[in-house]
Amino acid sequence: MTARGITKRIGSIKFSCVSPDEIRKMSATKIITADTYDDEGYPIDMGLMDPHMGVIEPGLRCKTCGCKVDECPGHFGHIDLAMPVIHVGFIKDIKMLLESTCCHCGRLMLSEDQIQARRESMDKMEELGGGTIEVKNFSKETAKDASGKGVCPYCGEEQVKIKLDKPTTFREVEDNHKLTPKEVRERLEKIPDDDLVTLGIDPSTCRPEWMVLTALAVPPVTVRPSITLDSGDRSEDDLTHKLVDVLRINQRLRENRDAGAPQLIVEDLWELLQYHVTTYFDNQTSGIPPARHRSGRPLKTLAQRLKGKEGRFRSNLSGKRVNFSARTVISPDPLLSINEVGVPVFAARELTVPVHVNEHNIEKVREIVARGPEPGLDNPYVPGANYVIRSDGRKIRITSRNAEEVAERLEVDYTVERQLVDGDVVLFNRQPSLHRMSMMAHRVRIMPGRTFRFNLCVCPPYNADFDGDEMNLHVLQSDEARAEARILMQVQENILSPRYGGPIIGSVHDHITGAYFLTHNNPRFDREAAANILFRLDGEDIPFPEPYIDEVTGEQYWTGKQLFSTVLPDDFRTTFKANICQNCSVCRKEECEYDAYVKIRDGQLLCGTIDVKGVGNSKGKILDRIARDYGSDRARIFINQVTRLALGAIMNHGFSTGIGDEDIPPEAALQITNHSQECIDKVSELVASYQDGTLAQMPGRSLRETLEVNVMQVLGKARDEAGRIAGKHLGMSNPAVIMAKSGARGSMLNLSQMAGCVGQQAVRGERLSRGYWNRTLPHFEKGDLGAYARGFCSNSYKSGLSPTEFFFHAMGGREGLVDTAVRTSRSGYMQRRLVSALEDLKLTSDGTVRNTVGTVVQFRYGEDGADPSRTVRGKAIDYDDLFAEVLGDEADALLHIDNSDIGGDYGSLEKDEMEYIEEEDSDEYDDLDMDYDGGGE
Amino acid sequence: MAKKDTMKALLNRGISDEAAALLLSKYNTLSAISAAGADALVELGLPEDEAVTIIQKIGKRPSSSSKAKKVVEEEIPVAPMEEVTEFYEYSDGEKRLMAIAEEEGVDLPMKVIVDIAARIKNADLDDEVCRKLVTTAYRMYSSHLMDQNESAGVMAAHSLGEPGTQMNMRTFHYAGVANINVTQGLPRLIEIVDARRIPSTPSMDIPLKGIAAEDENVARIVASNIEITTLLDIASIETDITNMRLVVRPDVRKMESKGIKTSDIVEKLNKVKAVRGMVEESDFEIVVTSDEPSYKKLQVMYDAIKNAKIKGIDGINRAVLSKTEGSWKIITEGSNLKEVLKVEGVDADHVMTNSILEVADVLGIEAARNSIIREAMGTLGEAGLDVDIRHIMLVADLMTNDGYVKAIGRHGVSGKKSSVLARAAFEITAAHLLHAAMVGEVDHLEGVTENIIVGQPVTLGTGAVNIIYTPKKKGDKE
Repeated sequence: MTARGITKRIGSIKFSCVSPDEIRKMSATKIITADTYDDEGYPIDMGLMDPHMGVIEPGLRCKTCGCKVDECPGHFGHIDLAMPVIHVGFIKDIKMLLESTCCHCGRLMLSEDQIQARRESMDKMEELGGGTIEVKNFSKETAKDASGKGVCPYCGEEQVKIKLDKPTTFREVEDNHKLTPKEVRERLEKIPDDDLVTLGIDPSTCRPEWMVLTALAVPPVTVRPSITLDSGDRSEDDLTHKLVDVLRINQRLRENRDAGAPQLIVEDLWELLQYHVTTYFDNQTSGIPPARHRSGRPLKTLAQRLKGKEGRFRSNLSGKRVNFSARTVISPDPLLSINEVGVPVFAARELTVPVHVNEHNIEKVREIVARGPEPGLDNPYVPGANYVIRSDGRKIRITSRNAEEVAERLEVDYTVERQLVDGDVVLFNRQPSLHRMSMMAHRVRIMPGRTFRFNLCVCPPYNADFDGDEMNLHVLQSDEARAEARILMQVQENILSPRYGGPIIGSVHDHITGAYFLTHNNPRFDREAAANILFRLDGEDIPFPEPYIDEVTGEQYWTGKQLFSTVLPDDFRTTFKANICQNCSVCRKEECEYDAYVKIRDGQLLCGTIDVKGVGNSKGKILDRIARDYGSDRARIFINQVTRLALGAIMNHGFSTGIGDEDIPPEAALQITNHSQECIDKVSELVASYQDGTLAQMPGRSLRETLEVNVMQVLGKARDEAGRIAGKHLGMSNPAVIMAKSGARGSMLNLSQMAGCVGQQAVRGERLSRGYWNRTLPHFEKGDLGAYARGFCSNSYKSGLSPTEFFFHAMGGREGLVDTAVRTSRSGYMQRRLVSALEDLKLTSDGTVRNTVGTVVQFRYGEDGADPSRTVRGKAIDYDDLFAEVLGDEADALLHIDNSDIGGDYGSLEKDEMEYIEEEDSDEYDDLDMDYDGGGE
Repeated sequence: MAKKDTMKALLNRGISDEAAALLLSKYNTLSAISAAGADALVELGLPEDEAVTIIQKIGKRPSSSSKAKKVVEEEIPVAPMEEVTEFYEYSDGEKRLMAIAEEEGVDLPMKVIVDIAARIKNADLDDEVCRKLVTTAYRMYSSHLMDQNESAGVMAAHSLGEPGTQMNMRTFHYAGVANINVTQGLPRLIEIVDARRIPSTPSMDIPLKGIAAEDENVARIVASNIEITTLLDIASIETDITNMRLVVRPDVRKMESKGIKTSDIVEKLNKVKAVRGMVEESDFEIVVTSDEPSYKKLQVMYDAIKNAKIKGIDGINRAVLSKTEGSWKIITEGSNLKEVLKVEGVDADHVMTNSILEVADVLGIEAARNSIIREAMGTLGEAGLDVDIRHIMLVADLMTNDGYVKAIGRHGVSGKKSSVLARAAFEITAAHLLHAAMVGEVDHLEGVTENIIVGQPVTLGTGAVNIIYTPKKKGDKE
């Protein structure tokens, strides 16, 4: 514990087979009895729980090394098998060896020349850096070439074909004679070392006869601990159970053989032993029934312990359980910096940071230790300490009783485990950890309460909401880790996502509405209101801007754009179109009637509305530019201040939405009803023309398909039109519309479904058709193909769905739920494969991307070597910036305000389906874009 | 039947018709002939040397004969490849900037230079300004470079995997009028990454050139040459049991629209194995008379000609015309790049298929790489997700790294990793460990998974560098 850091590194690990001699040599004891414990409950010597193989009960000492529990790693024992048995794992390799070598002389059945050629190719392969897999495939080919010969080229012996009876029996094809493992072993023994090398086997690590077991290694007791139940009964591990079986049969086999029992009985027992050894290694071997526990549950034997998600490799070796971590529910706190996380006192008292005691800090640390683990003061919070680790490694628990004494005896070179304080660096994480922003470093803020709290702008990278989500927190334990976390993992360093080079952290929901209210059409604020908004920008030295004077009344006032400009860097300049832009055919720029043309010069917002395109997450242009050009510190300050400013603005203005926002005038409702009815009539006409055969068939489609396509088109238009009419009557003063248009939340599609018409329900992209025979529900006539009978909802969410519509809507909704469930597992597996394939690739110092072996995958990363998170919408440099810098204001002529460029949003989570429909006018008709993500875990 | 097969087998082995017929008069199978030996054959009336060669030839495995066939095929002189003569011509503006960049000794990516040149095309800038542009651009570019030891791979994997959770599972209609279903969303992305041999919905995008691009009727002819037409599409088939024959009644209207004549059908049908030489034209019908009086045979014949290809390209089930930007193009269901490229009227330079393996087979590995990038970008774009192209490039480059398309997963990249532990941790744990033990494999702990397993810092990022520092001892002065 005292010596930190890594002094030695494991260079490499070599794998090999263990020979029977080695098994016996390393064995601590030979095991002969199948019994485990005697009547007193002590382990029997030479039994499966022999204390020579390690100890699992506290207080006992290992008979081999003399250590106690946790100190003794355990020791192998062994079972001498009465007759050899085959190791299932090697069955294919044994078959390959038997087929490719002579049954008489054991030589590989290839001519000297061929062997020579093969060996040369293998050497060449090694020279060129061929991996194991290439060598494996090559030797497989060698074996294939050598097998199937009629006559051995060396001794001239005629070969008998061998057939594998799954899982472990070999037979000679001709007379169906069964090869006993003993015979197999004898044949394998004959294969000379040289020929093994040709077959890709290293004879020094693995002689083929070792694949037929004569001695079975018994794993230490620590590997298969028994559990004592509450009733006092012992429950043995699955492996122990299996080994008992092996021992019993082994014993009977030996007795029968020695007593000269009939061949048939011996063979039966031999096969039984083979079965038990086989299932001991792998209880899922195909072709044999799995060995079962008394309760009927299949045993978990060696292969099952390693395999799969819950296996040793993925569960215990690739992922590990840790201390110094906490998990609780999360809740929002807009007044925290994006870099901070609010940690409840309760957790902070439990989580500790090790502090190394030296001459300089000893007094301070002593003070902390003296407070003990429960300083009793929660407001203000003061840290205590939970443990002291002495220089000899002894760990002392501090209690309120011994705190004074321990503090007294504190010496230099001790380590104190101090409780968390404000400013400690911790890692914060939410599962599923899909990308690196799922785990970021935050600074601790100790707070009352029981939840973790953080700024709302940090929700998108974690994909968190507050409907009961829980998150994890890890306290870093070393200086290196803290430094790395602070420099690389801190939230402010991750504002720009490497996925698309835009900000993933930015204003969300109400912040955007707030920014909209602050800047849209430049509202005026009197001194009180302006101060009320500005005072929230704490401590960052913001000068109160100069007021304007009203020419008529002579009163002082401040404008919203002026207030917003206070948080911009002084030399900031940019131009873009806001989300509320109507995409007019001729852009009137500064004179935009919707105030959608944003122009910022020298840190002053000259015109335009700040909305999601300005400061929103993933779309915010201002944010994007500040994060890239002014550094992460400035970006953090900007986000914090925009958050506070926007909250000030929205609280000044007041904002609420409710069902009344979807109210539309009766004449509009009538219009919608009329139009829907028209469309439904049109569908009836289509169906009628289909039924009397006058419907014009589309090329390459059946008549029925043609009908469906046409109906879909008509009904799609019905919903669009309903949405359009509803949208027309919900003006820009409607809170719901403000949210949708400014990009804060919701879309016009959502609104049109609430106010206008829900539209066609679909399953698998088709109108609903399943249910009863020839109809969806018994409410309709058989064979009815009309709009209502096939899932069209002409009502809106607000007017309420009819019973059939409600049922159809539930059908569509169910598909959405199933889709989500299927998708998570499928995409999870895809990501696992991608990570596994790509994890080793790194950018080397010469600019190439290589894997661990040194194979070049790319000569220049991404063809230009640019870091995606530093690129400008995927381009290596920002051309607008370049021209602005070199040419100054003349550049405006060259500046390229390309609408598609500027309007393009990065990785949008919610695509506005309405826009999509408007531009495509396609037969998009689903309604599955509602949010089904709420409602807890 | 057995005799027939034997006959075929004999002919395959290069034995003359007469000799084969002679052999068949006594023996039924190949093994019977070889068992009889050369002497027995001589007795049958064959010359001695021929008998010996026949025995030798029969001894050969059919596989070797097919190999021999391949060799013959290769010997056919291949038409010399057309040399690529159209290179990208740098414009004057680009050349000028390139010269300046070279003078300044700065290494700007071509893309940046081309983009700048495009912007200043219409402005008259003097050399000094251009020089400043280039140097400033370089300054900006070099500050946007990727850091050394960055784990580019993990970044790419995350960037592709994370949006996967936001995609949907449904397939929906192809954009445009064509109404051809194409797999989209997550299933398509998985398909691309899997390097599936045939995509679940293969489709091609075939622009036309010349007159076909302008005239709808010509375009329709091209489409009918591409779309597969089976007999049932243009004719009805009747089974005439009394006369033991099949009567094919072509539909004149359908034939006309496809541009097929009755004689074409006869010719094509005569090539079908089951009815070879039995097809005759009579009046407006085509009669296929069975040579054996068996109902079974009749059924076999019916099945054989029912789906006989009369016209078109194998694998292309549907070809739909669509007009974009004033010129006609064909969108297909099904894909067969190799054959479509040969069709007259097709703008072969711009034909696209979504079958990546097919692109690799026909156009080579670089084309396959670009195809992966294009397909993946398209799929993500369709879902409204933005992923930097560099990530997809890396995945595509890894998949095509060694000259053929490998899948991401057990059978491809992951299964070929050099480390035993990494492979064992991924999938099929036990098999990898056992094999490693058998061949005495050594794991050098160079990758990520291995080092995590043994509990060491990984070799990427901050773990790739070391500080070597020997602290001064107390006694040391200096």
